[in-house]
Amino acid sequence: MDSQTTIPATSGTFAEGMHLPKTVSVAGLDHFFGEGELRKQALYNNTLDVRRGEIVIMTGPSGSGKTTLLTLIGTLRCVQAGSLKVLGNELLGSDRDLIVRLRRELGFIFQAHNLFESLTAFQNVNMAAELAGIDPKIAARRIKSLLTRLGLAERIHYKPKSLSGGQKQRVAIARGLVHKPRLILADEPTAALDEKSGREVVTLFQELARDEGCTIIMVTHDNRILDVADRIVNMVDGHIKSDVAVQETSVICEFLKGFPLFADLTPNTLAEVADQMMVHEADEGQEVIRQGDAGDLFYLIRDGSVNVLVDDGEKRKKIAELKAGQFFGEAALITDEPRNATITAQEKSVFYVLGKNDFRRVLETSASFEEELRQALFNRQ
Amino acid sequence: MKRTTKTPLAWKNLTHDWRRFVVAIAGISFAVLLMFTQVGFQNALFDSQVKIIDDMEGDIFIVSKAKYTLAAEKRFSISRIHQARSCSGVRGAYPIYSELTTSVLRKIDRGTGNRGYPLRSLGFHLNDPVFQSPAIKQQLQRLRAPGTALIDVKSKAKKFDFDMQQAEKLSKYHVELAGKRLTLVGTFDLGTDFAHDGNLITSAENFANYFPHRKRMGDPLSVVDLGIIHLLPGFSAAEVKQRLHNTLDKDVVVHTRDEFRAAEIKFWEKSTPIGTIFLAGKIIGFIVGMVICYQVIYSDIADHMAEFATLKAMGYTTGYFIRLIIIESLLLSLIGFVPGTLVSRALYAWLAGKTGLQMLMSFECLAFVLTATIAMCIVSGMLAVRKLLAADPATLF
Repeated sequence: MDSQTTIPATSGTFAEGMHLPKTVSVAGLDHFFGEGELRKQALYNNTLDVRRGEIVIMTGPSGSGKTTLLTLIGTLRCVQAGSLKVLGNELLGSDRDLIVRLRRELGFIFQAHNLFESLTAFQNVNMAAELAGIDPKIAARRIKSLLTRLGLAERIHYKPKSLSGGQKQRVAIARGLVHKPRLILADEPTAALDEKSGREVVTLFQELARDEGCTIIMVTHDNRILDVADRIVNMVDGHIKSDVAVQETSVICEFLKGFPLFADLTPNTLAEVADQMMVHEADEGQEVIRQGDAGDLFYLIRDGSVNVLVDDGEKRKKIAELKAGQFFGEAALITDEPRNATITAQEKSVFYVLGKNDFRRVLETSASFEEELRQALFNRQ
Repeated sequence: MKRTTKTPLAWKNLTHDWRRFVVAIAGISFAVLLMFTQVGFQNALFDSQVKIIDDMEGDIFIVSKAKYTLAAEKRFSISRIHQARSCSGVRGAYPIYSELTTSVLRKIDRGTGNRGYPLRSLGFHLNDPVFQSPAIKQQLQRLRAPGTALIDVKSKAKKFDFDMQQAEKLSKYHVELAGKRLTLVGTFDLGTDFAHDGNLITSAENFANYFPHRKRMGDPLSVVDLGIIHLLPGFSAAEVKQRLHNTLDKDVVVHTRDEFRAAEIKFWEKSTPIGTIFLAGKIIGFIVGMVICYQVIYSDIADHMAEFATLKAMGYTTGYFIRLIIIESLLLSLIGFVPGTLVSRALYAWLAGKTGLQMLMSFECLAFVLTATIAMCIVSGMLAVRKLLAADPATLF
């Protein structure tokens, strides 16, 4: 028997980095505001895993709960129900000492800069370095290089009063990064910045993620920086509506594009198809499809390889071998006939599967490709 | 500890807005000034009460058991003085005679009598070394004549309107003491207090002449107001005091100089409203300072709530914030104390010149006001810190 899971293919669960430890692990998280009659639920059964080195962008309309989720992850609110683990520590029912210790591992970048007017840029950043107990000389060097990197070399010893809004925001960003946090939580970090410095900031994020294994979760509406996201989480009304690994989705789309019937689909539709696919695993030698069964799934091989076996009444004969990126199971879905071959896994393999109904709907969409194009052109105006 | 290299946030926040800082310091200084004024006046008044003790020579003092303050006219028998002389360690024992209620001094102008006012008359045997004042020692000869006295230059001018500057002029005044003619032959300097508007000094003989009814029957000098004991070298006051206490009849009390002074001040502080009035003044100064200090610290916190909340999010602990506010309070109190003390000093000098009261900024006085200033700032800092601890980092995102 094969094991079908309810994990979406685009979650990236089986992509690269799946072996990395989880920086943040949210499971069944609910959150409420207010008391008694006024009690209002802000988060509903949220589940989200963020691994080391990932850059996650959270989007969603205001009031969707993304900020609430961010403050919960940042230990700034108490977890009420469900499980929330940050850097391996459960926050539900945690004590103050743990919270303080965790906060020092985090880097916060708030929408407002919140700099002390009485301190210079250097001293403001140093407030974070001191707390981390960094040697003053090393800290001084790091602060200078960070501020220089952020284009503030000339203004290291200026007070916030003589800095522009964007410069202040960059000082606040330096403050959030100077102690090499393991997890950065940022709220619209680039909103106050021009294109160039916004780009510099996200490049810095990427370097930290790549070189230091720093995990970054940011809430942003700035679509200029969407490209740095490893994962995009969309929230609506307190629910995580979608949680998509960008890289994995693009891999799936590339694969799907290679399937002749889907060749005409727009990237948009391909991404939607990818969204509907589920993860499906099989061990070595396990039968994935049996000849003569009714067909209800379309398979894309994500990882591993399979044998295609045909039973001609007397004996089973291997007629082909399929590898990662290839497909099978489409014939039975198109023709509504039983499976015409048996597929067994050659090794431990991972498939992304699409249900029969979804598959058919995609084919219909494909037919209306021209229609979609018209729509797209129309919307452009 | 490498804490010394930390960013001095408390100092920076306090001094960032120098206008506000100056106002804050001025406010604290004002509270310091208020407290200094109260403490100064109180000490000055108490010092005036015991000025006569300070001006006397002697190591041990004997008073009637019934004499609860210097101004109370309770006397004891001269035989206690004689008894004391025979005690070992005593070099000499000398009586002082004092009279207040019957000692009315009246100035006669061109044959018309003005209203007379009571003042303290002090009598002593001219050979007894009881007064330290050089002025008195120099004028002993003049006091030998009958009907003569020295008058205190600080006697209230409103009641005792004499030109004290020239001794020749003074002797021309037509004056009566207790209804008998008196010649003022000179002046000395003692000072007034709550009970006494002026002072006269006469010889014991003249004193007996003016106040013959001190004792209903017999010698007016046989009842003494104050006994002064001089010690032989090598004897301690405490030791001789104990011996006198054991030897003398129990109708007298024996004090060392310090005890006598302390007992007199204690009477004025505890048994009169004076102590309470000045205590209220000090409390008002303290509260004014507290309100100012609270206002300064509270507004500093209220203006920086988001920044403090950010520090909290970064992992700064409650302990850090409490330390921060204590440091701010200490800085405010210490910096405010300096100008407050300087202005107080100037005020003391001016008041001393103006009123004749002894305005001294003693070490105790400085220590008291400094302690009160620090306490007032820290108490108000701790009241204000609650606001800071309520800063919620969850509101920042």
